[in-house]
Amino acid sequence: MGTCTPYSPRHGKRPNAVRLLKHPRRIAALVLMALLSGWATTTAAADTINAYSIWPENWARPMLQEFEAVTGIKVNFLRFSSGEALARVIAEKNNPKVDVLFGGPVETFAAGIKEGVFEPYKPPEAASLPARFKNADGYWTAIADDPLVFMTNQKFLAENKLAAPSSWDDLLNPAFKNMLQMADARTSGTAVTRIFSVLEVNGRDEDKAFVYLKKLRANVQLYTKSGGGGTLPVGLGQAAGGIFFIVDALDTKAKGYDVVISFPKEGIGTSAEAIALIKGAKNAETGKKLIDWATSPAMQSLFAKHKINFVPAHPDVKTEASLAEVLKGAKIFAIDDAYAGANRKRVVDRWVAEVLP
Amino acid sequence: MCAHAAGSRVKTVAPAEALKRVDPALGLTVAALWLMLGLFVVYPLLMMLSVAFVDDGRPTIAPLLAIVGKPSHRAAFLNSLLLGGLVGVFGTALGFLFAFTVARGNLPPRWVRLIDAATLLPLISPPFTTSISFIFSFGPRGLITHDLLGLKGTNVYGLTSTLAAEVLTYFPIAYLTLRPVLSGISGNLEEMAFSLGSRRLHVFRTVTLPLAIPGLANAFLLLFAASLADFATPLILAGNVFPVLPTEAYLQITGLFDLKGGAILSVLLLVPAAIVYVLQRGWVARGHFVTVTGKAGPQSPIRSVTPMARAGLSLGCAAVGLFILYLYALLGLASLVSAFGADHAWTLRHYQVIFTEGRKAIIDTLIIALIGMPLGGFYGVLVGYLVARGPALGRQAMEVVCMINYALPGTIVGIAYLIAFNDPPIALTGTALIIIACYVFRYSPAGIRTTIALMQQIDKSLEEASRSLGARSATTFRRVTLPLVMPAFLAGVGVVFIRSMTAISATIFLVSIGWTLITVRILENMTELSLGPAAAFSVFVITVVMAVMALLNAVLRRLPTATGEQMQWGLGGG
Repeated sequence: MGTCTPYSPRHGKRPNAVRLLKHPRRIAALVLMALLSGWATTTAAADTINAYSIWPENWARPMLQEFEAVTGIKVNFLRFSSGEALARVIAEKNNPKVDVLFGGPVETFAAGIKEGVFEPYKPPEAASLPARFKNADGYWTAIADDPLVFMTNQKFLAENKLAAPSSWDDLLNPAFKNMLQMADARTSGTAVTRIFSVLEVNGRDEDKAFVYLKKLRANVQLYTKSGGGGTLPVGLGQAAGGIFFIVDALDTKAKGYDVVISFPKEGIGTSAEAIALIKGAKNAETGKKLIDWATSPAMQSLFAKHKINFVPAHPDVKTEASLAEVLKGAKIFAIDDAYAGANRKRVVDRWVAEVLP
Repeated sequence: MCAHAAGSRVKTVAPAEALKRVDPALGLTVAALWLMLGLFVVYPLLMMLSVAFVDDGRPTIAPLLAIVGKPSHRAAFLNSLLLGGLVGVFGTALGFLFAFTVARGNLPPRWVRLIDAATLLPLISPPFTTSISFIFSFGPRGLITHDLLGLKGTNVYGLTSTLAAEVLTYFPIAYLTLRPVLSGISGNLEEMAFSLGSRRLHVFRTVTLPLAIPGLANAFLLLFAASLADFATPLILAGNVFPVLPTEAYLQITGLFDLKGGAILSVLLLVPAAIVYVLQRGWVARGHFVTVTGKAGPQSPIRSVTPMARAGLSLGCAAVGLFILYLYALLGLASLVSAFGADHAWTLRHYQVIFTEGRKAIIDTLIIALIGMPLGGFYGVLVGYLVARGPALGRQAMEVVCMINYALPGTIVGIAYLIAFNDPPIALTGTALIIIACYVFRYSPAGIRTTIALMQQIDKSLEEASRSLGARSATTFRRVTLPLVMPAFLAGVGVVFIRSMTAISATIFLVSIGWTLITVRILENMTELSLGPAAAFSVFVITVVMAVMALLNAVLRRLPTATGEQMQWGLGGG
């Protein structure tokens, strides 16, 4: 079989490609090779975990490498945005390919519970977490907290003689017309958290909130697929600003882009980042070890070391000083899990129908 | 495994009997192909349709009516048609410009190689890399609109930039399709017209253009289908005012977890693809275009364009080529600086990242591409041949079925494969095979269409001569037809390899813990603001594909064939 290379030089005059074609059996051999190479891929070994990560590689890789160093358990992972990761887990429901869903806003996990893709598991540290950082039935547990912020381009603010927005109404300023970027509620947990923030600051008066959202639409240049999708355009000045999770905003700043982070005085929402065990996981026991580790101070105290600006969910881990400084004085509220879960689909549908077009 | 399957036995069969006999090898090939098509095209599609139209075991069209009832979905439908049509027209025109310039312009070989290189660039890089360069270049702070032209308040999102990016991305397909067709039109024919006193424009209009119609129709169809199925470009450039069906279907599935809605939207997409396809068939079938005959005469020198026209054509190609090079220079720059737009210190750090953290993706992608390449090329030529010359029964059906995976948005093909192959009896998810199968059955239509277009120009008498001398259909195919359709085989091989290295829309659902792809890493890098590694990956992909193409070309160039002059056409000197 090894000699059946398409361009083997041992034949005579006709082009080798042609020669390959006249041998159905060579094609069969190639197909067989493909099959074998497919089947030869990693079958579950006792000391490995397979995971889908919703956290970007920048954050997931250093954390999972630390886990490997401590436990010797190898973590194979693949990164997807929250919607894609969940669609995949649902599609693979009858034959799960991964053991753990790692990171991602709680509302994604709430949707997953409805689809029956998670296995309840309460890690030991869950007992010390506040109620909003764990599912009562143990379907998910929080590993971090991630507040929203306003992020604006410094040069744009200076050129237009504007201060950084400090109120939701500041974003309606005509100076921002067609210059804001933020996430699309169809794909992004960031966007859903943002819309529920607007609902909260409007006293959950849906009609009032939608009047605001529709006014804001006039200033929006683009709704992006992923929550962080607008950070680069804002950094480059292609857009003036937007609403992002703090972890993305501070990373933009750390990369050297001249952006300003601010908070609205009315308050803004925050979303817990969670982890969950997949139902039917082939490495459930090792998967639980990862969940134990990620929900404990063992992992969350490493955020600062790797310059990851998540707020730890575990009460024993102190927020890193410079992050705490940014958050100082900001009015941040948790999105009510039950309220958001009950109204998410309807509110997103209404947003798609009334605001997006 | 390597034994010669079909020998070159001399047979003494009466010609009439040889022509009548149904060849067992042919029948077996057709049956095997149908089996593969059933498994990798029809079966996933049926699974997908059952998700769209079956509720609790009962057929229903209520969800379809609900989807069509939404104005935003109707707008997306019309936008897709508009975009596909415009990309088809402009892309075919641009492809024809390049193909005509190369085939009739008497350009020095060095220029031809340069044109080949420039047209290859968009083909061999992930579509969204063009889009990203567009974002940098246009818009409120774009390098071109703001820094160069000083425009204020410009907008980069919408129809114009999506159209421009898609035309630049896909017109090389038209070029690859049209160049062998134009080269195949003998200069002697034009010469005859000249000697009868025709003017150049008249010859172009009445001889060259009509002969190129099968190619033009194929190019339009391929571009229209490519645009209909493309989601990466609109996802980045279309913005919210110009929704198209593939992005809507993609968002419906990945965002709203609405597999059913996504499936229905993609069923809507099939309608225009089918209409264009039927139109194209009727159009091509109206005339005969036999220009390669068994009787070879001396070639006349080509003199179908004036020096003035030649300069104009070359200038047009150069302008487009330069713009493409600019877009890619921007990408190269982004791969070599710390943070594009903020910190322009030179660094090789991004390349270090892709060869350490990204090494697995690189190795996986190369293995998959190298296995898919010959399979795809062979499959394309075989199907094209059978559609053009095979048993009459079922060949139209075969042609239609082959186009399905290409016309469907990749997202749908990916999800359909995921649904169909996740569970026994045929559990393939997590393997390389599912990705390879997806590429072969999704990207071979380029080779198939090119084969058909070429076969329509090859006189049947050549094959009949072979068969009447007693050669079996397998032998005839191998020794007569294949050398004649080598350009199509190369097109098939090239496109499958290129797409294996660059496609994302379908395979983003098929990558697994065991097998991942560079393109998926690039999109990830882009969404997490790691523009440097994304650009470095893209530069790496372009370099590898260029190198493989050059190698392939060099090997093939040295091999004598019946159409030796056409051997080098498609892949460029790169």
